[in-house]
Order: sequence, then C-alpha cells, then structure tokens
Amino acid sequence: MWAIASGIEGNLAAYEAVVADLRKSRQEVENFYLLGDIIGPKVESNQLVKRIQQPRNGEPTPLVCQGWWEEQILILHALGRTGEPTELIDRYGINMTKTLWDAIDSATLKWIQSLEFGFVELDCFLIHGSSISVSDELTPTIDPIQAIDRLSRMDANQLFCGRSGLAFEYKIESGSLNSQVQTLDKLTDPTPTILSPQRIVGVGSVGRVEGKASYTLYHPGSNKLEFKTVRYGAKKGFG
Amino acid sequence: MKIAVMSCIHGNYEALNAVLSDIDNQKADKIFCLGDLVGYGPHPNAVVDLIRSLDIPTVQGCWDEDIVEGLNACECSYPSILAEKRGKAAHGWTNDQIHPEVREYLAQLPLSLREENLCFVHGSPHNQHEYLMPEVNAFTALERVMATGADVLFCGHTHIPYVRTLDAGQLAVKVQQPEGTSTKQFTAPLKQIINAGSVGEPRHGRPNATYVIYDTDDKLTTLREVEYDYQLTCQAIIDKGLPAIFAWRLAQGLEYAERAEDPTHVCER
Repeated sequence: MWAIASGIEGNLAAYEAVVADLRKSRQEVENFYLLGDIIGPKVESNQLVKRIQQPRNGEPTPLVCQGWWEEQILILHALGRTGEPTELIDRYGINMTKTLWDAIDSATLKWIQSLEFGFVELDCFLIHGSSISVSDELTPTIDPIQAIDRLSRMDANQLFCGRSGLAFEYKIESGSLNSQVQTLDKLTDPTPTILSPQRIVGVGSVGRVEGKASYTLYHPGSNKLEFKTVRYGAKKGFG
Repeated sequence: MKIAVMSCIHGNYEALNAVLSDIDNQKADKIFCLGDLVGYGPHPNAVVDLIRSLDIPTVQGCWDEDIVEGLNACECSYPSILAEKRGKAAHGWTNDQIHPEVREYLAQLPLSLREENLCFVHGSPHNQHEYLMPEVNAFTALERVMATGADVLFCGHTHIPYVRTLDAGQLAVKVQQPEGTSTKQFTAPLKQIINAGSVGEPRHGRPNATYVIYDTDDKLTTLREVEYDYQLTCQAIIDKGLPAIFAWRLAQGLEYAERAEDPTHVCER
C-alpha cells in the first residue's frame, strides 16, 4: 500500500494526525509520498521538516518532492527556475516575500534544494502540480484533452497530484480519435487512436483546512484508491 | 479568402523570391510567415528586409529567438558534437551579420497570431522549439490545437509540410469525489494541424521550397512545392564561409544529423 499526501503547509499537528492514522490502520505502508507544499509561510515549517526527516520507530520514511511553496522560497533565494517571485506576489501580495523569507531557516532551505521534482513508479507519476509545472492545478473539472496531455507527457497511466488540495479521481474510461495525414507524396488512411483507461488523482490536503487533514491510500496490486479524512485538534468530533 | 502560409526561410533569399512569385500566381489574398527568417542561410538581412517591406504578419521562430536572446539551448538540441559545432558556427556567423534594426525587428515578433478560427505559431503553441511531427500521438496533437482555441493550427519548424486532420474524437470520463460520482461524455470537433514546411531549408527529400495555400471558404489546403535555382544559395553559403554541409543538405533537401533523438523534447531553458 502507498500513502500519498500533499499540502501540509507547515501544519505539524495535521501531519501528526495523518501519521497516527496510518499507524492505526495496521496496514504496511510500502511507500509514503509527500507531494510538496510541506512548508508554508510560517516558522513551524522548520520544525515540521525536522519531524519528516526523522521518522519515529515503525514509521515509513517519506519520499518528498517540491511543491509550490518550496519553489517560491527557492525563487526568493535566487535558486528557482524563474528569476522573479511574480506568482507569489500576484497571489499573496508583496509582504508575503518577507514573511516567507523570514519563516524558513537555512537548514530547511538546504533540505528543499535536495528534493525531487516528482516520482515515477510503476505506471504512476507523482508530483505536486503536473508534468507542466508545479503551479499547474489539476481539478475535477479539467478538460479531458488537457488531462490526457498531462498524463502522456510522462507516459503515465496514473498521475497523483496535490496542487488543488482536493481529493478526487478523474478517470478517462475510454477514448478514440481519428487522424489522417496528407504529405506532398501521399495521403494516409484515417487511423484511429484508442485510449486505454487512465486517471488523475487529487490526493487531498493535509494542512490547508484547519482541523481536517485529507490524504490518499493506493493499493498498486488491486489499483484501488481510498480517500482518507482525519479530524484533529480541539474541535475533533465536536465541530 | 485564400491565404498563403510560409515558414523557415533561413536566410535563403532566392527561395523566398521564388515562393513570393508563386504566391502571386496563386492569387493569395494574404500571407502569413511562421518565423525562422534567419539561420543556416547566407542572406539573413535581405530576407528580413523583404518580409518587412511587404508587411507580412510574422511570428518569431526559434532561430529568431536565439539571435535575439543568445544561443542557450541545452545539449539535447544536438545529436552529435559535429552537429553542435555546425549549429554554433551558423549562429555565430548570423549573429555577426545581423544589422541592429533587423535584430530589433526579430525581438518584437509575437509568438503567435490569430485570424478568426486560425492560429499561427512556429513550433507549437507551448514552445517555439517543440516539433509537431505528423506521427505525434493524435490526442497530443489535438491538445496543441485546442490549447489555442482555434480550429486550424498552422506551424512550421519540422521543415516538412503536411496536413493532419483530427476528427471523430470521443471520450468518456468518470469523476469521483467525496460529494459523489459523475460521468461525462465528450466529443471533440474536427481540428487540423497544417505544417507549412520550409521555404529556405526543405527536408522532404527534394531541394524545392515548400509552403501552403489555405482557402478559408472551402477549407481546402494545397501543399505547394516551388522549384528555384537553389545552386545560387548553395554557392553563397560556401562563398560566405558557412559550413559547406549546409549547401550539401540544401541541394539534397535532406536533414543531415541535425534531428535530436526525441523530437518532442523541449529544452528546459
């Protein structure tokens, strides 16, 4: 079984709730993926990163890739793929550049630099955004042609992502398209391209919604998905 | 309306002249150019001057961008050290020859143009360096057209002209969320990719210049192949000290060890 989570955003309590839920499930977690946005614009992010780096006895060691917040802090330190934090400013305003800069310490920054961009395992591609970019937000309303494009760019049948923070399964059950090519020298017969089933899975968000962490379990043997929600904090069960 | 679309002139003034004469004979109402005005060929300034004097709507090609921004393609652009050496030599020569006002013109070219339900780009809507080969997955090809919102996507960059028609697209989608499950059926409307080939550096196996005529009324495309005195360009390539292999491949209409192993790969630049 794989456990796949994203969007902790510096929320240590939410992460602890997910880890505790995994422990309670008593199923062996073969791979524990954290698909980015581990940090958020808060000092607690550093403590969370230390916790992730040092799993306790019996806990799986998370496989972590970069998310949107990680990319923003790298850009602020001139270590990103773009020069200016335009997206951060557009979304949260100029003051956020200082808030984020002040929140993340050098040890966390170094750890972020070491993170993968995504993972390919079996026929699955696991990433924060999509094969286009870390900012690409795949949602349950994505155009199916775009969905196929995001999958085909990595030659994957299943794409697990976390950018939207939503838990969903978007399954392309079947598809066909005819294609005919005319060149200077010949005209081919129309050729059908038939799609095999493929899907995009939104894995939810651990820390974005206070008191409610969501993540996803995937069973590679049966191809089965389980969307999990964990309540935590003072309002647990009484909210 | 009859429109002519040409691409990849690559500093070949003789070929451009011949194609413009043919367009005249075909009585096209409007001309579009898909970029790569410079590079490889011996007359980059003259080609740009002619395009500008005729006020032909033009998009920026990858060679035009490289001349403006500097050559910074990753090593995957070159399948061999020899190809890299030749590419860099051609870039250096063109960069030295280009007049300042020509560079300024290339810098301000748009990445795409629209005319009603038609879209014009150099490589693909996503990147000037992406090759839309005729054999690329049909759904990928459809995504490139649909990304523009147009019905017909004109591109170049591969130097081989073709028309690809995509139709009868059908998709069944099931969406599961905590709130419930829904199913949807999609049908994709007819879309086309029309590759204009190359005026000045063709790679379809003959030295003739290629371009396309598209009739917006009956939606018919004609792939045009125009003979011209390519030997004049070959001689100029050698006279100006460009790599002689460029003259050889122009005379053959062939690509010579210049195609990367994965043509759909786009450099992370």
